[in-house]
This record gives sequence, structure tokens and C-alpha cells, in this order.
Amino acid sequence: MTAARYDVVVIGGGHNGLVAAAYLARAGRRVLVLERRERVGGAAVTEEVFPGFRYSVFSYVVSLLRPEIVRELDLPRHGLDILPLESTVTPLPGGDYLAAWGDHDRSRRELYRHSPHDAEAVDEFGRLMHHMALAVRPILSMMPPDPASLSPGDLRGLLRLGRHFAGLGAERFHALYKLMTMSAADFLDEWFECEPLKATKSASGIIGTFLGPRSPGTAYVLLHHYMGELDGAFRAWGFARGGTGAVSEAIAGAARAAGAEIRTGAGVARVLTRGGRTAGVVLDDGTEIRARAVMSGLDPRRTFLGLLEEGELPAELVADVRRYRFRGSSAKVNLALSELPDFTCMPGPGPHLRGAVSISPSIDYLERAYDDAKYGEPSRRPYMDIVIPSMIDPGMAPPGRHVMSVFVQYAPWAVNGGWTDARREQLGDTVIDTIAEHAPNLKRAILHRQVITPADIERITGLSEGNIFQGELALQQLFFLRPAPAWARYRTPVRGFYQCGSGTHPGGGIMGASGRLAALALLADRA
Amino acid sequence: MTADAIVLGAGPNGLAAAALLARAGRRVLVLERGTATPVPDWEAGWVLPALVRDLALDRHGWTPSLPDPWLTIPLPKGGTLALHRDVARTAEAIRRVNPADGARWPEFCERAARVARFLAGLYAAPPPHPVPSGAGDLLQLAGIARRARGLGRTGLTDLLRWLPMPVQDLLDDWFSDETLKGALGGLGVSGTRYGPRAGGTAFVLLHHHAGSPAGVFRSESTGLRGALATAARGHGVEIRTGAEAARVLVARDRSAGVVLTTGEEITSDLVVSSADPRRTFLDLLGPDHLDPEFLHAVRSIRFRGATALVELSTAGRPPFAGLAAAPSLDHLERAADAVKYGRVSDRPAVDLRVTGPAPDGRHRLQASVQYAPYALRDGAWDEAGRRAVADAGLGALRTHVPALADARVERVLAPADLETLYGLTEGSLSHGEMALDQILFMRPVAGWARYRTPLPGLYLGGAGAHPGGGVPGAAGYHAARAALRDG
Repeated sequence: MTAARYDVVVIGGGHNGLVAAAYLARAGRRVLVLERRERVGGAAVTEEVFPGFRYSVFSYVVSLLRPEIVRELDLPRHGLDILPLESTVTPLPGGDYLAAWGDHDRSRRELYRHSPHDAEAVDEFGRLMHHMALAVRPILSMMPPDPASLSPGDLRGLLRLGRHFAGLGAERFHALYKLMTMSAADFLDEWFECEPLKATKSASGIIGTFLGPRSPGTAYVLLHHYMGELDGAFRAWGFARGGTGAVSEAIAGAARAAGAEIRTGAGVARVLTRGGRTAGVVLDDGTEIRARAVMSGLDPRRTFLGLLEEGELPAELVADVRRYRFRGSSAKVNLALSELPDFTCMPGPGPHLRGAVSISPSIDYLERAYDDAKYGEPSRRPYMDIVIPSMIDPGMAPPGRHVMSVFVQYAPWAVNGGWTDARREQLGDTVIDTIAEHAPNLKRAILHRQVITPADIERITGLSEGNIFQGELALQQLFFLRPAPAWARYRTPVRGFYQCGSGTHPGGGIMGASGRLAALALLADRA
Repeated sequence: MTADAIVLGAGPNGLAAAALLARAGRRVLVLERGTATPVPDWEAGWVLPALVRDLALDRHGWTPSLPDPWLTIPLPKGGTLALHRDVARTAEAIRRVNPADGARWPEFCERAARVARFLAGLYAAPPPHPVPSGAGDLLQLAGIARRARGLGRTGLTDLLRWLPMPVQDLLDDWFSDETLKGALGGLGVSGTRYGPRAGGTAFVLLHHHAGSPAGVFRSESTGLRGALATAARGHGVEIRTGAEAARVLVARDRSAGVVLTTGEEITSDLVVSSADPRRTFLDLLGPDHLDPEFLHAVRSIRFRGATALVELSTAGRPPFAGLAAAPSLDHLERAADAVKYGRVSDRPAVDLRVTGPAPDGRHRLQASVQYAPYALRDGAWDEAGRRAVADAGLGALRTHVPALADARVERVLAPADLETLYGLTEGSLSHGEMALDQILFMRPVAGWARYRTPLPGLYLGGAGAHPGGGVPGAAGYHAARAALRDG
């Protein structure tokens, strides 16, 4: 082995690893990103699975990407172009629908049709969530202080945190506290009466979790997803031109432009340590690469239990990581279509096909979907979030053809008997049967289908148990507890070894905040 | 008629408030609407040491009674697992069922006790204001922060991590035996509408642990109500039963007394209500005296009683003091599923307590049967429904507990009955769900957690105020002190 050629090796070319690499390279570090797959992006990739049809295979919408990252890395210059998804239509049993449009007045009139009360309340609710997102925003860009530490830095951090919350004033603090502790259903019950509205809103509280809309803690996930609706980069959910992989490519472009080297097809077997500090990495093929610092964008289980030997970590951290919860619950069905789906509630082509279609007619519907999953079965009638990317970006499919992306919940990672090919196809059938109830032409329109179970997510992307957030976004796994107490500040017990995945604060979604904060932590250490 | 203070309700909270006010020299009248036999459950729980001391309850017949074993768990293959007060003895008993779990029991007990002690400290005082508005608030917060950090790294992490957790995750972290986890999980969902996978149920387990020694996850005492009544009368309190308040009188924007359902008016500058917040604010005071935001907050309090109380009797003395029939966490979760859709659980979880011998020589037991919804989605509560709950509850017990073979059902109280008979909104025994968003400074509603109400002179001193259900007398105690401090 020769002298270190790199200052920092980043393990995993997911969006957080790339963000970290870009920041480190911009600070003058010699950075190498190692990605196991043939393409960068992790779960944010675009792949041409069937000739001419390009899928955002896993993650499919963007909104949470931190505006400071878009700005600081100048991502639009590297090709990032977000096209808005402006509407959400919820088909209802009996042929009606509930729609939310990009046009505010139109949405209000539509809601008024279902509930005058809710149409009155919805603006005030929006204002509240806006203020709540503002209240949480600084925390997303904050390195979590350690509440048990006596160091002046941590004490200052805790004090600043206390002052931040006190500064919100009693009313907003109480509202925030409720959001942190309540179930999405209970929280929305205080505001609204229209079932499909509550269900469709609460759906963003269950995404990626193994919780139902009536489970306390889901109101926070709801807020987490409101974060993107701030005055930041995109205001609302959007779709990246070229698919989600284009986001990763843009970040990779920024990293390369700053001098980072990115190597694909290079899986890392383990991290080299010497005398309690990192010395580099060993690749799957045995190649050693030396570096002064190593940063892992993998999830906490892989980072601590996969890349290191158990003896290299304090027993307590090993125990903490073992009990850190993943419990993937989401699946994905990607379809290639010969024609557009024709929804019974809104026949023919129309603007609704340029937005999302949400299969969430009632809270009970979602809760029953969860009930199935609790006992190890995929939902018999799942919650689904459907978009047709080719309607927004025609480049995603051949002319006249379309791609449809279906996010599905719940499909428990720990399905009874394990995931098999038969189970996978069964899930695909359930999804298509359920959508076909609302769009009967769907079945004949399908040219190809790709069904991705949580086990597939784990196998392909490496995300443990297929959890799309690298670990549940539950209160007991957030902020200074993410991923483990005392190790929530991107550092690890091995000097020079850092973590930058969304298993660290502030967690999942294509946010990039973890990668940025990890890079800043490393730079602050002068590692 | 006039009094210096009127207290509504003669439960532990009402009596504690009355006794404390009388002790300070007020002429106090307690009005109790009900004549129905009180439910024994309302005596269960931790009694604040300050309350015992100030009213010398131990001299009036109150005794902490910690049955030993405090919980008996039927095992699936026959026999029982007994959880004793002595941690080592219990660990040994668990070890025979599951060696690894037995080995972990002592550390679990010690760490849980540390968190519960912290909670007990919070319950011994009015709730803190997280957004301080004065030096007193800041001082209280600083004290709490100091105590929290005094827990050490492990203790502090447990506190922050455990409270929001589902009790299932907490128990999975420690144990693997389904029976043990089912029984402890049952304590975590007791009195709530939640299953063990719901966040915040670990808090409920620890809430009921507060005040008990390590290894004992719930408190018992006997004679609390009698002792409080004796202490109250000793200080000159008049207790009138069969006297139901219809309205709180308002004059010059403050409380002026109450009107009884008979039309009788009793004037008093000070009214302490131990009724639940919805009854207190919406029925007794009325929406006209409250601003819309406060009203909305009160209307949003979740009550959702989901426990039916079944009173049983047996000829022989049951060979246990408390028994938990919840064979696994999944069993609990499935039982909870039913109530989400307005149905009674087919296979409920049952928490059984022996409540003592009755005059007829038979032994009385109280079974808390979970889950039974306040409102059935199909139809209303009737005799058949009550019988079905009792049958389901007994069915769950008889399988495992031979001593109950001849058990007779004496009375069934569905949540709706608890509302009618005892004025408990939606049958909520704790005057509002014990959930993270409805405790401490959020109880009964944010901004009004310190026993005062928007109407000067009216105080809330029931379990709907901090520290909630399961700490009998504590809210009444704090409310009386708040009233005395205000003059």
C-alpha cells in the first residue's frame, strides 16, 4: 500500500454521498466516491428497464432537496430541472373524486363541493403548516447537540435549541409539539371533516413508515413532507426532467466539477482501521485504497455492522444499531403503457394525468391496509401514489407511449414466508387490480411491468430491510437519537470515519442535508 | 346557601382538593352527583407523598398495599409466571420460562425505575411551561433540565428514547418471551384505545410505574377514598351526595357558585371541578363564557374510552391479586384493531384485580376488558352487547384460570355506561386519553394546564388535568394549592 492518494473516500454514490463529496471537493479535498452499482444515485436513479421506457425506479418525486444545496452546488447549471406536479386527484368509491389543483381558487371550489367547512379551514391549515415548517427548518440544517454532554459546544447547542423553541411563542410551540406526538389522523381530525381529504393528507404521514395513519408519530412525517412546500427550491412536489436519476447526475456533475473522482462498479467490503482510526477501504475485489478519512453514505446497519468489525466499536453502539428500526413497508410498481389510463371518475385525457392520483379514499382504508401489513401480509387494498412521468417529461417514454410510477404501501419487508417471485407477482396483481377498479383500461394498456418489493429495494440499493429513509422516521429515531445516542453528529467511534446517509439527522427523502452536514463536520474536524 | 369553596365530585381528586382547602381554613362543600357504587379502579394508583403527609392519610386508614406477587401471568402451557416485588425472585421465575429474559429483568427494572422516578418528580408539581413566561417558569425548567441530565447518559437517553416509543418496540428491545411481553404490553395500553404498536404506549407503562419500587409496574392502595373523606370531614368539609351541579354561576366575569339540578343555588367565589374537562367547560360552564379557540381545544380533547369494566365474583378466594390475560403483543394488537372500526374485540385482553370480599361472602374481582368502543359502529350498547363483552372477557380468562370456573358476572360497565353512571365523557376513566400530546403542559388543553381556567375562580382539579389518570388525588391537590395561592 502506498501513501494515501485521497483525503476522503466516500462509500456509496447515493445522493447524500454525492452531496458530501461535492462539498468536500469544493473545500479542496481530494475525494473519491465509490459506488457498488454501475450508476450513481442509490435509490435516486433513472433506468431504461424496457427499451425506450425510462423509469425513476425507486424514488420518484422531489421536493425536500435543501434549497441551500441547490444554490451552493449550483445544481441547475449541472442539469437539474424540476417540473412541477401540480394536482392530486383522489378517486372515490361511487365514481366521484376529490381533486387538489395547482390553482388555489379552483382547489377551494372543489373542496367546497365536498365540505364547505373544510374549504374554510384549508387555508388556515396551510398557514399553520407553513409556520411549522419554518419552525423546523433551522433544525434541519443544524448539527444535533448531544443532550448528555457537558462540553461547552453541546451546551451552547442545547441552549440555542431551547431559545429557538421558546422563541416560537407558546401557541406555535404547542402546535409543533402536537405535530411531533400525534397521529396524522387525529391531527387532521382537529381541522377537517372530509374523509378523502384527511386520508389523502394523512398519506404523506405514513410514507416510508411501518405505521398507520392512526399511529401517534405520523403527524411528524406529515410535517416532514411539508418541508418541501416552503419558499425553498420548488414549493411543491416536482418531477426531475430525465427522472430522479437526473438529480443524482446533477449532484455528481457538481462534485466532478469540483474535482471529485467517482468510481462505479466498486463495492466496498470494509473500512481499514489502524489504532482506532481509519486508514482507507478494501474493495470487494480486494483492492486497498488508502485515505485519511472515510465517509459512509450507507445506512447505519451497513455502516457500523457491515463495514467495521464488531470489536472496533463500543458494545453499546453495536447494541444501539442492532435495535435501530428499519421495517421497510413500501413497494414500487413501474409500468410501461400503450395508452393513458382512463379514470372513471375523470374520463379521458386531462390535466389530472399530469399530477398525482392518490388511492386513499378514507382513513379507514389506509388503516386497514396497515392492519394487513402488521401481521406480515401485503395490503389487500393498498394505498397508492400514482404519477405518469411521461406526461410531464415526454422523454421518459417512446412517442405515444407512457410510463406510470406506482408507489405502494404496505408491503412489509418481513412478509410471511419471505419474498418470493410468486409473492412479487401477487403484489403486482393486487396493485393493478386495485387501480383497474378506477381505470378499467389499465390492464390492456400494460406493455411491461416491473414490481419492486422491499426485498428488491434492499438487494438492489443496499437499503436495509428496504426502508426508503435508511431507518424509520419515528420520534425515538430522530435528531440526537439518529442513528444512535452520542453518535448523531456524523462522527463515529473510529477517528476519521464519518457517516453521511439519511440514517443520520435529518433523515430521508431526497434532501441532501445529511451529506452536507457530514461534510461540514469533517471539515470542522480538519480531518 | 354560600360556601367559601365548592368542589364538584367526591372522587379522590375532589376530596383531596376539598380537604386541602378546608385545611387552609375555607368552608368547603363537596357536591357529588352520583349514588352509584364507585368503581374500585379509581383508587388504584400512586398517591403523592405530599398528599399523604399534608392530610395525614396514613392515620385515616389509607395504606399502600403492594400485593406480592403484584401480577400473575398465565402461561400458555399451563401454570403461571408470578411477578414479585423482589426483583431477583422475579428474575429467577422469568428465567425458568426464558433464561435470557430472566437475565435482563433486573437491568430493565432498574432503568425503567429511573425514568419513572423522573416522571414521579414531574407529577409531584404542576406541569412546567416549556415556553417560559417568567423567572418562576425558567427556574422550574432549569430544575427539570438538571434532573434530566442528572440521570446520566444512559438514563437521559432512555428518557428521551422510551417515552415516544411503542411499548412493543421497548419490550422487543429487552425481551423475547411472548407471554411476558403481552402482560407488560397490556400495562402499556391499559385505559387507552391504542394497541402496543402505537407510539407513546411505552410512556403509559412508565406512567403507571411512577411511584412504585423497581420491578413493580403498577401501584395499589386501599382505603384512599375513605381516608380522604375522613381527612376532609376532619377539616370541616361538608360532603353532599345525590347533589348534581347543573351549571357554574358566573357573575362579573368570574365564578359565583353553582346551580344544582334541583334549582338550588349555592354561592361561592371558588369552584373546583373534578369532573372531566368536557363536562366542566361545555356542560357546567357553557360555551357562551369561552372563546372559540379554547372551545375548539376542549372539543378536540380525545376521550375515546375503550375499556369495559366487568365486575365478577367467585366463591373461593382467587389465588392471585392481579392477573393479566394478554398472551402476546400481537394478541393485544388484534384486539385493538377491532375498536378502530367500532367493534368489540372478539378476543380481548383482560386485566383482572381482586378487589376484596363482598358482604355476601363471595370474592369480588374487577376485570378491565379491552377493547370495547364507546360508540359501536353498528347499533347501540344494550344488554346483549354487555353480555357479549363479559362473555368474551370471561372466555379469555377461563381458558387459563381454573379458579374462575364458577365466576359470576355481577355488573358490566361498557364505556357508554361509565358515561351515564359516572359522568365520564365517552367512558374515559382517565378523563381524556393518556397520550403524549395530552399530558403535562398540554393537559387538559395547551395554555391552561395549571388548573386555572379562562373563568377566574373556576379551577379544574380532576384527572383531566396534570398528572392525569392513575395518580389519584394529585390533580385535586395541585388545583387546591393553585386556588389557595391565588387567594
